Amino acid sequence: MFDRFRAPWSDRRAERVLGALASLVLVIIALMVIFVAIKAWPTLRHNSVVGWFGFGDEVDVQIANQVNGTSGTGGDAFKLNAGPLIYATILTTALAVVIGLAFALFSAIFIVEFAPPRLRRIIVPVVRLLAAVPSVIYGLIGILVLAPFVNDHVISDSRKRSVEYVVQLSGTSLLVATVILTVMITPIMIAIVTDALYSVPKGWKEGAVALGVNRWRAMWTVSIRAARPAIIAAAVLATARALGEGIMLSMVSGGRGFSPNPLDGITVLFEPLRPLAATIVENVESLNAPAVRSSVYAFALLLLFSSLMLSLGGYLAKQPMKKYGIRV
Amino acid sequence: MRTHDDEMPKVKLPSLQDVMDADPAGSRVPDPVHGALPPPVRRIVLDQPPTVATPAAPQTRAAGAGAAPTPGHGGVRHAGEPGPERMRLDALSVFYDDKAAVKSVDLSIRQGEVLALIGPSGCGKTTLLRTLNRLTELTASARREGRIALDDTDIDELEVTTLRRRVAMVFQQPNPFPMSIFDNVAYALREQSMKRPGKAVIAPHVHDALQRAGLWDEVKDDLDRPALRLSGGQQQRLCIARAIATRPEVLLMDEPCSALDPKSTEVIESLILELRKDLAIVIVTHNLQQAYRVGDHVAFMYLGDLVEYGAAEQVFGAPRAQRTRDYVGGAFG
Ligand SMILES: Nc1ncnc2c1ncn2[C@@H]1O[C@H](COP(=O)(O)OP(=O)(O)OP(=O)(O)O)[C@@H](O)[C@H]1O
Ligand SMILES: [Mg+2]
Repeated sequence: MFDRFRAPWSDRRAERVLGALASLVLVIIALMVIFVAIKAWPTLRHNSVVGWFGFGDEVDVQIANQVNGTSGTGGDAFKLNAGPLIYATILTTALAVVIGLAFALFSAIFIVEFAPPRLRRIIVPVVRLLAAVPSVIYGLIGILVLAPFVNDHVISDSRKRSVEYVVQLSGTSLLVATVILTVMITPIMIAIVTDALYSVPKGWKEGAVALGVNRWRAMWTVSIRAARPAIIAAAVLATARALGEGIMLSMVSGGRGFSPNPLDGITVLFEPLRPLAATIVENVESLNAPAVRSSVYAFALLLLFSSLMLSLGGYLAKQPMKKYGIRV
Repeated sequence: MRTHDDEMPKVKLPSLQDVMDADPAGSRVPDPVHGALPPPVRRIVLDQPPTVATPAAPQTRAAGAGAAPTPGHGGVRHAGEPGPERMRLDALSVFYDDKAAVKSVDLSIRQGEVLALIGPSGCGKTTLLRTLNRLTELTASARREGRIALDDTDIDELEVTTLRRRVAMVFQQPNPFPMSIFDNVAYALREQSMKRPGKAVIAPHVHDALQRAGLWDEVKDDLDRPALRLSGGQQQRLCIARAIATRPEVLLMDEPCSALDPKSTEVIESLILELRKDLAIVIVTHNLQQAYRVGDHVAFMYLGDLVEYGAAEQVFGAPRAQRTRDYVGGAFG
């Protein structure tokens, strides 16, 4: 009844509630990491951390042994050298992020600075739409269209024969995985960078142009500089998505725990591989086996740790920019 | 005044040519000699019509930043001493889509003097100013007719970057880049040179520009400070320093003081009078007193038309057109 006389929430109280919520989130994340770490511990201990991260016998054979609870080489059911999977994760993610970021920067500059308004009105919503397409659809296109095309028209028979004793080339490959992954993560980067470039104060751009700098240089030296925090944020987000992409990569990467060998020259592009997240997806059926379960937890731990480090790295990289008044 | 030549510690400069391999404006017109004629100094009392004062009271003109100005220095008008013509506008019209914002304006801009553009809001002052260094080309809907010449060369025949290096601009809102003070002033110097000059080569020029902009004493202790932490008035002077660092020939200023307090305005006005020696200056202002204080010539625009153009004394003292009388009268009557 006397509601309007009630004392308003003081800022201090609001601060405390928000602080508590934030802390709660941190606690949950910490508990999650600890839980996953405990579950991952058996396999890490068994193989030693260095061994686990390293290369050894064929990783797919090791995992098969874990699934069957047996071992071909003497009862060592926990044996795992995850090197090829980690290598595959780094390879696909790094390639897709580097290519995607470069592409995103140039597209965003084009959209903001050079595209005719009519074209811009079409591009911007299309990019946003692409950013929202579920990754499994990209995976479907990859496996139904791109992989067969690569298999039939890009990889020559002689190329297939040149490596047939090591690995079979069938279309799904590093190339297709990287292309589809790049296509998947680029639109969100374009959208973020475009928004950031739009929000660069017009006065800065005009100021640079009025000093006799051409539009391209003005963009590069002023707008892109001011948008660096958003560019970092976009790269972090895209990397996290690429790291965590399981289903799509399991469809198009070839699904083999193989390490594409750069010494094979161009052929490396057509060799299959399987990143960590895809490996998790492909082993959900075998989680009854204790060794498999521990391995999958270890994969998860690695991905979790990477994305935490990624966020932290992004945060730290943005700090020095605050000094000169760039909003981070 | 702080920025008098004779009081200013001189900086030893390597020639600007050393810094800028590709100096776009190969030959520059030498400065006309600005002797200190015994000038008809006008005094202005804000709520009285302007009158021509006796030379005995010159300090009313100079908006000194502290110390009382001495006669014969920056505080004095160069009336009756027109410099060479630098820019010439012939039948200049500017349209946004089909709406004319500037209608067939003829105007000349001379070395060593300040041209003040006045007129009610929306009459096309900013548009006219931005046309002079082709900034209107950034606006897709803008279209220009008529000819603008810089030293008898059509500005359309100049490389647009060259034009903007020679005809610099200071905006209404101070717009320093989110960089250090030093980097702001060095920005154009660096961008305009072929090979990236080192800090040691650039530093004297940065020093010189800051000095001429009357900012040096306030910032010399920490040039690495973020420019955005300066006060509004300091930021505007920094923008002036940035614009004059590469020694442009014409300086365009669009209401440079509208975001500033009276004190900063005073500092910038005396700065304009000082800079006038080396440059042709065009200033847009809504402040008629300011137009009178700094302008040698005044152009009055109304709805895109240039209604009246003449010496400041004439436009304010004895306007020919009725419209001018109405507009100016409101301020001084
Ligand atoms: N980008 C634009 N697109 C369309 N019309 C414009 C644009 N900029 C200005 N105009 C129009 O052109 C006319 C002149 O504008 P301008 O900005 O030159 O006036 P101004 O004299 O500088 O006014 P103020 O004193 O308020 O700054 C106005 O009628 C304005 O509406
Ligand atoms: Mg204006």
